Amino acid sequence: MTGETELATPTVSTLEHPPTDLIDRVVERLHGVLRPDQILTGKTDRYNRARVPAPFPVHRWRERVPDLAVLPESTEEVAAVVRIANELKCPVVPRDGGTGLTDGAVPLRGGIVVDVKRMNRIHELDLENRTVTVGTGINMLKLNEVLGRHGLIYPDDPASYPCSLVGGRIGTSGWSLIGARYGHTRDLVLSFDFVLPTGEILHVGDGIGRKISKSSSGYQLKHLFMGHQGTLGIATKATLKLYPKPEAELSPFWAFDDYDAAYRFTGALARAGVATFAGAVLFDEWKVAYLRRDDEAYIPQPADVRALTCAVLYGWEDEVRVGGKRLFRIAKEHGARYLGDEISEGDWAARHDRYATPLHGRTKSGQVVPMSWHCEDAAVNYTDVPAVTKAWHEIVADLRRRTDVFDDWGMFAYTSADTGVDYLTEIDVGIWEQRLDDAAWAMWVQAKRDIAAAALAHGGSISACHGSCREGEVDLVPRELGRGFDVMLGVKRMLDPNNIMNPGKYLLDFAYQGDVSAQLDELRGIR
Amino acid sequence: MSYRYSDENTPPPARKASEVAQTTFEHVYEVDPRLMQTHVLQQVFPNWDTLRIMHARHDHLEWMHHHFAHTTISGSELMGDTTT
Repeated sequence: MTGETELATPTVSTLEHPPTDLIDRVVERLHGVLRPDQILTGKTDRYNRARVPAPFPVHRWRERVPDLAVLPESTEEVAAVVRIANELKCPVVPRDGGTGLTDGAVPLRGGIVVDVKRMNRIHELDLENRTVTVGTGINMLKLNEVLGRHGLIYPDDPASYPCSLVGGRIGTSGWSLIGARYGHTRDLVLSFDFVLPTGEILHVGDGIGRKISKSSSGYQLKHLFMGHQGTLGIATKATLKLYPKPEAELSPFWAFDDYDAAYRFTGALARAGVATFAGAVLFDEWKVAYLRRDDEAYIPQPADVRALTCAVLYGWEDEVRVGGKRLFRIAKEHGARYLGDEISEGDWAARHDRYATPLHGRTKSGQVVPMSWHCEDAAVNYTDVPAVTKAWHEIVADLRRRTDVFDDWGMFAYTSADTGVDYLTEIDVGIWEQRLDDAAWAMWVQAKRDIAAAALAHGGSISACHGSCREGEVDLVPRELGRGFDVMLGVKRMLDPNNIMNPGKYLLDFAYQGDVSAQLDELRGIR
Repeated sequence: MSYRYSDENTPPPARKASEVAQTTFEHVYEVDPRLMQTHVLQQVFPNWDTLRIMHARHDHLEWMHHHFAHTTISGSELMGDTTT
């Protein structure tokens, strides 16, 4: 299916950075609102804020370097920076943990990176209402170290848990490993302060409340300002929903000698209606093969193990024990083989932290090469997971036939909800970044289009987790959203009249180009 | 840690763990050295460092369990009782 979505011209391009004299004026004005130590113009400071974990041709790194970075410490300071940028028409890119996989925090046109890491205070812990209000620069792990002393947890658990920040989770509308139990970022963030591209400050939540979980008053603006990948503004202070820290955890892994059996079992677990069920993960044949050969958490397995399913439960110990027994009973009915306590507990604990692993893959001859991990994701209904899995492996197999730069590291399917309706499907691809030249990059971008197209063809969404604004997949966003994409353009134009907020992302330049219906029709394939 | 250099640089004899991996100490797995000869050369680690890395990983995983929940229930505890 490679090439079905090929486009004549790329739709993501890095244009000229702002001229030097403009940057000089920006820096001069910033000294009026920030201390000198909050304004970073050094090469190291800028290059370190140019990258995210998603692989990119190293020889093109320079294109993504901001002209300066700032370290504001309050909402008011962020607003002051953005007002100056808007007045002088200088690009602004919000950056939190920089762990996203769709380049939201990567500047495409230079300008100012607003690094929120110093806004990491806990402003208020409300034990009665079970909320905490924090600066968006705080990391969930560090927050939970404090909350744990009060018997509480903020259960937003991405694979980048030790290094991602609350603000980035808002900007990407993140997906959580244990979201089937506790909800995802959109459910866990009650409200937040937000700096618009004009520098105005807005508070959004359900209604106007800071600690309201359900309101029917007015438009539901909270979701609009989540998942925009920094194109609509900067979240600065958020109020989060808290839960009791779980008394007990259970994370059994089961083995199967074929994928279909593991798939049926995964569906049965998700549909069981166990209240403490926090998620299930299906590992396909390629993923099991990768675990055997190159994963840092090497799992020795008999050769007849070809697929795995794991489930995880959190809650009070008595509840988890009862729920766990029910899942083990389902496992027995499905002929699942329990993999043992050591593998089950060890592998689950490693799932919280998948960004700190030294990674390598193989050439076709089997030699080890250093590779960066990359992951393409989609949201797919349960009944479509096998077909999407097959289509995606074919796309990556075609890449690998052509070059050793890419290696198929297998696929996971994670439950997104507590009913088993849809799954975060992801294919992990090893990329030999040092060999990623322009030709290989073009192959990869085309593969990303094909991967997104396969998800859409099966009734899915391009992304459940990462966002869809990276080169390649972004071309299919107008097709996925239909008329909704035109609404996105209208919102962008209204809120960001000078296109200063993370310009070049999500095809939002179209918002400033007059009648673009012909281009959109081409992207939608209805030309 | 052993006093003698040779002791620290002589790991237990490698045993084949799969077509592409071998094991030396318990829980320590390595890529088969024949597959690390072209693009990435296998490094020699003293035994104390190999064991330190392995133990550090186990410490990290243990820490993560306690970070998310007070106790970990083992699947083996529940396997024998699936009637209720």
